[in-house]
Amino acid sequence: MDEKLTQRSVWEKIAAKLSKRSLWMLHYCTGCGAIELPPTMTARFDMERFGINPMVTPRQADILLITGYLSVKTLKRVVLTYEQMQAPKYVVGFGSCTINGGMYWNSYATMKSLDRYIPVETYIAGCMPRPEAIIHSFNELIAKIDRGEANSWKDYYKNYDFYRKNQEHTFEGPIETYNDIKADAALFRI
Amino acid sequence: MSIVLNLLSIALAGVVLNVLFSKSKIVQKYVSLLIFAGLTYFSFVMYSQVGEHFDFPFQIAGQSIGFTITWLNYYFGIMITGITLLTVIFSLKYMEGKDGSTHYYTVLSLKTFGMLGVIFSSDLITFFVFWEIMSWSTFGLMSTGGKDAPKSAFKYFVFAITASMILMAGVVLSYSLFGSFDFAVIHDKIGSLSLPMTGFLLSIFIVSFSVESAVFPVHSWLPDGYSNTFTTFTAYLSGISTRIGIYGIILFLFGIFGIQTVDKLSIIGKINFRYVFGVFAALTMVVPTFTALYQHDAKKLIAWHSVGQGGYMLIGLASGSALGIAGGMFHVLNHMAYVVLIVFAIAAVEHRTGTTNLNKLGGLIKKMPVSYLALLFGIIGLAGLPPMNGFVSKWFIYRALILGGYPFLAIAAVIGTLGTILSVYKLIHNMFLGQLPERYNNVKEVGFSMQLPMWILMIVVLGLGIFPGAAMGLIAKIQVALGLTAVPYSLHGIQTASGQLNMLVVSAVFIGGIFVTWIIYLLGSRRKHVSQYNNYAAGNFLDKKVAYNFNYEFYAAMEHVIDPYRKKIIQRTEQGIAGLTDAVSEYIRRIYTGMINTYGIYVITAFIVTIIILKELI
Amino acid sequence: MNVVLWIIFLPIILFVIGTFMLGYSRKFIARIERRYGPPIQQVFYDIFKLMNKKTNISHGWMHDIAILMLLGGTLLTMYFVPVPGFHFFAQYGDMLVIMYILLIPALGMALGVGETANPNGSIGISRALMMLAGYDIPFVLTFIGFAMINHTTSMYDLMLAQQAGGIAGWGLISQPLLGIAALIALQGMLGEKPFEVMVAPHEIATGPMTEMGGKYLGIMMIQHAIGIVVELTIYINLFLGGAVNWFEYIVKLFVLFTMLLSVNAVFGRFRTDDAVRFMWKIPLPLAIIGILFIIF
Repeated sequence: MDEKLTQRSVWEKIAAKLSKRSLWMLHYCTGCGAIELPPTMTARFDMERFGINPMVTPRQADILLITGYLSVKTLKRVVLTYEQMQAPKYVVGFGSCTINGGMYWNSYATMKSLDRYIPVETYIAGCMPRPEAIIHSFNELIAKIDRGEANSWKDYYKNYDFYRKNQEHTFEGPIETYNDIKADAALFRI
Repeated sequence: MSIVLNLLSIALAGVVLNVLFSKSKIVQKYVSLLIFAGLTYFSFVMYSQVGEHFDFPFQIAGQSIGFTITWLNYYFGIMITGITLLTVIFSLKYMEGKDGSTHYYTVLSLKTFGMLGVIFSSDLITFFVFWEIMSWSTFGLMSTGGKDAPKSAFKYFVFAITASMILMAGVVLSYSLFGSFDFAVIHDKIGSLSLPMTGFLLSIFIVSFSVESAVFPVHSWLPDGYSNTFTTFTAYLSGISTRIGIYGIILFLFGIFGIQTVDKLSIIGKINFRYVFGVFAALTMVVPTFTALYQHDAKKLIAWHSVGQGGYMLIGLASGSALGIAGGMFHVLNHMAYVVLIVFAIAAVEHRTGTTNLNKLGGLIKKMPVSYLALLFGIIGLAGLPPMNGFVSKWFIYRALILGGYPFLAIAAVIGTLGTILSVYKLIHNMFLGQLPERYNNVKEVGFSMQLPMWILMIVVLGLGIFPGAAMGLIAKIQVALGLTAVPYSLHGIQTASGQLNMLVVSAVFIGGIFVTWIIYLLGSRRKHVSQYNNYAAGNFLDKKVAYNFNYEFYAAMEHVIDPYRKKIIQRTEQGIAGLTDAVSEYIRRIYTGMINTYGIYVITAFIVTIIILKELI
Repeated sequence: MNVVLWIIFLPIILFVIGTFMLGYSRKFIARIERRYGPPIQQVFYDIFKLMNKKTNISHGWMHDIAILMLLGGTLLTMYFVPVPGFHFFAQYGDMLVIMYILLIPALGMALGVGETANPNGSIGISRALMMLAGYDIPFVLTFIGFAMINHTTSMYDLMLAQQAGGIAGWGLISQPLLGIAALIALQGMLGEKPFEVMVAPHEIATGPMTEMGGKYLGIMMIQHAIGIVVELTIYINLFLGGAVNWFEYIVKLFVLFTMLLSVNAVFGRFRTDDAVRFMWKIPLPLAIIGILFIIF
């Protein structure tokens, strides 16, 4: 990682400075966390100040915000949506459910740790995290992009076998997303 | 020997040879190809013989009859032969293994023979005879291919017979008025006729031709008739056959009656004969174009547009200004080029998939890119967007209407254009774009003999769009020959005191804009092509089992908006006309009681009446 | 030489104005909603970010060409619409040409979106085309009225004719019915609320933009920025007397845009059929009455 930092060209630094000011967010809300987003977007906290806007399709989005727990069924959709997003892309795990299962620790139907299936850039701890916490984590993300450290999306290409194995284990078989990750990795020279 | 006679005898030879070789399809195919190539060649070289006249060695009622070559004839002649040749080339592969292909080339030759006769005739008798040959062969064309074809051809037959009878009445009336069949003689004597009589005579001819060119109230035979036959015939019929009616209107309105005479036929103030004619043309543009939105069959959709586009030609002629008439005439050529291109693309799809149902197709762009490109060029022309040819002629027409002070006719033209854009997008979207159904995974592009006519027409559509002057020269000559003001054209547009149109500049700027965009496009990182199943569906997994294409009821909301108007005005009017016809026919039917006594009384009454009339006369 | 400089710099100038106007619109809406809002240069950041994306997915060659047709068509329109100091191309094509080249980007986008094979996209296009039939008829009718008064179809001549009469000569003042009809149609043309049913993010996932990402969406945003200026300029040239210098031009642009935005900020969204019906029941009769005034 440190080596990467020194290797950044001037152009990449400028690009990071500009790109960090525009982050479009796709919120994947199956759990209870969705209720914290409207105050984050509207007059009280107004995340558009930082150039963060809600967007509706994965093609347009940079941030995938996953609120709350994920069941097997919904996790499939998350993986599909994540693969449909355009790199560079950042996953933000929202609430303790995405970190360790939270209050659903004992549930047979929910996933305990999101980063076993897709690489996660930042987590927001809490149950529920308040809008302040969301804004704080977005600012963290912006700072990371500026420093050139927000590279977790490359992990998915580097360690695809690991993620794929976990996905297949949970889904009890492969899923077809029509995305050729290996070919993309070659395209990105990762 | 006149070159017209050469032309007609080649066409007739085509009919005869096709009948003789009706057993061998191969011979028939290549004989037809040769015949139509010859026809095309001869019609193009007629250029040097314009102004020539040919009389038959015999006379009818003391009148010599024959043919003549004028610029107007020449213009329509090259269109007829050219498009027939392209149709034949396209049909070589298309008609393979289809029922009725022996009949196919025979009626095609006969129809061409009839049409060429009509346009080169120099008097009413020749005109009428060839008109009949043409109508009968149109019936022949329409009654083949598909099980609904005979029924819809019969519908045409009823209309065509009525129109022919009206035309016959016109011929007889002109003979009794002028004592001559010759167009030139009638043209000289027309000034001496009283205005109501002139109006009556002109109306007779215009009504008769309106049936053939499918003007609004008498258009209902066309959509069914054209869409139920072979798709190549649909191209041929809507491309050129309907436009013979327009030829008749141009000939009688400007050639025989003359614009000065027509302008005298005033009703109240600005409302004159031309204006009334223009209102019908406006209805022809608007109503069929919006009816096309409802169609689920590609051929039927285009058939409705072929009615609607006729309205543009007529409204251009009705505007009466040099620009408008040039636009109307130019639109005949442009419409022929793009509509035939569109129908060829539809035929190519039908050839490979076996259907023209817009709800069943989709995604074929990946399999048939050339046909897609052909359809794209065609619909841009049909919708009248630059840089294709349809735009130029529509521009003439709009400008003539606006500056001539016909705002409501102009707005009808705009409404028609917008309706056209809506339905042509539906056409291309439902056939070529969207999801490719699994059953069409093995579809291939059509072969070279079917691609060649499409490429030629694509070049014509784009070429006439950028260099309209290529055809405008001929149209200016026609205008001069008809005693009108020629339109001040240049190679790439038009130049008048109050503004000019330069399609070359428009196209060049467009290409420049595309080039700049391409550079911006290259600045981003490389694109990656993905499968159609790698698609946003709100997290749903897509695969070949999921039919997710949006093509059924594409404009449902628009239909909600139009439906009330359609039901209230159009359908009630149509039902009213149908009811009236029914009632009248019912009264006429009662004459035939089936009892011998009644018929006896009829015969005796008729005998007495005849004797009284004869006594009066003698 | 002067013309060449204009040709090179006009797209850049209008792009800058357009992006600032879009940024301004976001700020304006944010303030109405009592938010702080993004910085005014936010749209630059968005476009840069999109152009800088590493992945750009495409569904086929028409999808690529559509993007070229989209911005290429808008640049074409831009050159033919006279702006203060530059009307070189206005002599080669009149208002009728402009009305029809305005449709090229729409058609290009429609074809590209069709190729993406996304049902949301197709629904969006179907709605956009229906809206087109709604607003374009009154808009073209108002133009026809103007052309009839001045006996010319050239936009530059129409502009000069208005400037000759001072403020009283402005189309909006001399022909108020036509001006109001065109203003309502303009709201639909720009796709501002209540006529933004073709985008409808919560309903059909931004419709035409569903499958557009990365540089495709970036070029669409560039096109939107230039397109919005061009469409407003058409209204200014026809109804607000055009502009003599760039200061006047930019002031008129912002005043007109703010008017439309104020409507945009407080309205919901019409359903497609209601929007078309509205366009055919309010602006269209207004325009027809306006034309009847001109004739009689």
